[in-house]
Amino acid sequence: MDEQQLRIFVSIIQHYFEAETGRPAEVGSPFLCDPAQLPVHDFTGVIGISGNRKGCVYFSSPREILREMLLRAGETDVSDENLADLAGEIANTISGNARREFGHEFLISVPVVVRGTHQSISVPRDVRAYVIPFRWHKVDASLVVSVM
Amino acid sequence: MFGIDLGKYRTIVISIALFLIFDLGVLVLNFFISSEIASDAVNVNLAGRQRMLTQRTAKLTLQLENRAQAGVPQDVELKELIAAFSLFDRTLAAFERGGETASGDGKPIRIAAVDDGVAQAVLADARKLWDPYKARISEVIESGRASPAVASALVTQAERANLPLLKLMNDLTTRVEELAASKATLLRAVQVTGISLATINFLIILFHFIRHLRASDRQLEQARKETDDILRTTQDGLFLLDTQAVIGVQHSAALERVLGTTALAGRSFYDIISPAVTPKTLDTTREYIDLLLRHDVKEKLVASLNPLECVEVQVAQGPGESDSRYLQFGFNRVFENGKVTHLLVTANDITRRVRLERELQASEERAKGQMGLLVEILQVEPAVMNQFLRSAQDGLQHINRQLRDQGSAREVGGETINAIYRIAHRIKGDASALGLSSLATSLHSLEDILNGLRERPALSGEDFLPVTVRVKGLFEEIEAMHLAVSRVAQIRGVVSVEAPRPQHDPGVEALPFVQRWKDFAVRLAGEHDRAVELNYHGIDAETLPDSLREALNSMVNQFIRNSIVHGIEDTDTRRRRGKPEAGRLSVYISARDDGGVDLSFRDDGQGISVSKVRDAAVAAGRLTADEAAAMDSRRIVGLIFEPGLSTRETVDEDGGRGAGLDAVKAMVMQLGGQIRIGSTPGEYCHFRLSLGALPSLAPIDKTEDKAAEEVPA
Repeated sequence: MDEQQLRIFVSIIQHYFEAETGRPAEVGSPFLCDPAQLPVHDFTGVIGISGNRKGCVYFSSPREILREMLLRAGETDVSDENLADLAGEIANTISGNARREFGHEFLISVPVVVRGTHQSISVPRDVRAYVIPFRWHKVDASLVVSVM
Repeated sequence: MFGIDLGKYRTIVISIALFLIFDLGVLVLNFFISSEIASDAVNVNLAGRQRMLTQRTAKLTLQLENRAQAGVPQDVELKELIAAFSLFDRTLAAFERGGETASGDGKPIRIAAVDDGVAQAVLADARKLWDPYKARISEVIESGRASPAVASALVTQAERANLPLLKLMNDLTTRVEELAASKATLLRAVQVTGISLATINFLIILFHFIRHLRASDRQLEQARKETDDILRTTQDGLFLLDTQAVIGVQHSAALERVLGTTALAGRSFYDIISPAVTPKTLDTTREYIDLLLRHDVKEKLVASLNPLECVEVQVAQGPGESDSRYLQFGFNRVFENGKVTHLLVTANDITRRVRLERELQASEERAKGQMGLLVEILQVEPAVMNQFLRSAQDGLQHINRQLRDQGSAREVGGETINAIYRIAHRIKGDASALGLSSLATSLHSLEDILNGLRERPALSGEDFLPVTVRVKGLFEEIEAMHLAVSRVAQIRGVVSVEAPRPQHDPGVEALPFVQRWKDFAVRLAGEHDRAVELNYHGIDAETLPDSLREALNSMVNQFIRNSIVHGIEDTDTRRRRGKPEAGRLSVYISARDDGGVDLSFRDDGQGISVSKVRDAAVAAGRLTADEAAAMDSRRIVGLIFEPGLSTRETVDEDGGRGAGLDAVKAMVMQLGGQIRIGSTPGEYCHFRLSLGALPSLAPIDKTEDKAAEEVPA
């Protein structure tokens, strides 16, 4: 992943928050992270990448962000199912946009939503992943790009 | 037959036609003979009636005579006689020549003349008897009544003709019956023959064709089994596509594995591949298949257009994890009567091949990139290199921590940039000092980005994205260098020899003994119209035992002199060779765990010229020209440590006597160490000494080495 490609992922998320909530997410300074220490919050939408490059991209949010987004959208049901649906929608947005931007370079899978710890997220080993922190409504979420 | 090619069915069609012809023949004959038998039956009846009419006519003549003699009216008898007479006469004539008569129910009936010789002879005899009889009766009939005399004459005639006529009519009846019976026999014979022939024909058809059918079935069964075996065993996905691109009913078992889907028969090929390819590729595939199905387009011409040579298919493997497989489809036309009826398609999973090709390509690219890197790495002492790489990696991790610790803060302070800059700059300085130019360039570009960020009034986290990307690239460069160093070390087999290098301490450069070396080098270089710069890395030599320190000092001085006198080129030459004007002398001393020390001395001068050493050895009379020519470069270079051998043409206070390196060798021998030399002509010369840990040293005779006295130990 080069700088340009990372910027595309960042802008997809910024646009999503701006369009859905009218309030953009702040982007923190990106850093590198070993696979074992990757940040994983309550709900994570994972997109697999294969082809010339292999790995995954995921957006992981704490439940507070998702709940706040639902409430702002007028949704009163903030059950885990609904929060997971929203995490899935964010992942779908990333996946759809990414497919449009990178469709000719990589194969981008249909996203899946994972709850809880990162045991269930399979990231490439021996690869330093990019972690791009996001802050929205004073809560931190993370975009992780781990591609070989 | 009839212009239709019956092929293998010709015999069966002929057999069936024969069967029908036999049946038809029997039918026609049956019809014909039956009608003959029917007319014979009429003849039998009529002949029987003639027999009856003879008796009746005789009876009526007797009655007529009785009536005439009694003188009573005879109208009734006469009328009956006329009827019987005329019926007999007409029937007889019909039998003889064919003609009309009355049937049993009085209706007119036409019969053919009896065409049998025996019957005609009977009829001729009857005619002879009948004609006089008929004349007498006609006479009575014509007169309207019979007198007793006429009646008696008639009776006499009747008595004469009656019995023979009865017999003849009886014979006629019998003969006609015989004729009818013989025809019935013929009919039966015809029927039996016809049915027998038809049955024989049927049996021939049955046995002949059943045998052939069984043979054909066996062949078909075998062929089917062979096809099944092929389709079950082949590792290729094989199937036929019809003109509508629909998959045929049969396909190889491997196809389902290759395509990763089941129930393929009868499905559209396009439906199956559409999820795996782009809409554009799908359209191209349609066009390609349409082209292949046109028999006026050459298959070889369009083969290169195949858009499915290598199709990448994504396969889900787990949550958020997917992998790619690569499929290859090949198309061949199937012709029938010169027209393309199907396409034979082979589908293969070429994932392994594609991956190998890509790995090969990537490794070639890596190898290209590593070549330059290796050249740089080879010029640096492995221990120095390892030390540098560890320190660089620590530095990069520090930078990454700086980035991470900012988190998602909106405002990023300039202090972070300065901290990152300082670390990057330090690594760059170290990389430059070691001649690692590509790494220094990468770090320089990171510095440029940081400088750009410094100038911005406000910074967000995203602005650091290029910094993170560069840092990742630097991590990868450092790792590649690590890998290269360890490979080089394996090749050299020096991993265990090289001592771990202590942390670089800039303060060490200011130590008095280093300063003395520097001063000495600069002064000596000035005397020889050269410019040099001496760097020292390593331990504080003052901490070593006196004897060892003194030996090291002496050796370093000797190497400095050797470098300046023999190695470092004048500034013009260095400039021409693309080297810095000041020659670089790098000294490195490390302490080993066993109490010994390692000394490394390197200059970036013109290196050791093997041919000059060889010539000097011959000139000094150490070797004959032949011996020198036969000696390998390694041993020739070893001669520079031999006493009295110098490549310098003139002798002065600094060299030419060939004594300096000889003294070094003597000291090393005394300390129980070893010497290694590395050199590339025009590039560098590198001495590496491993010195033993002897508690004390014998005094070194410095009187022969005047220059050594110039530098106080």
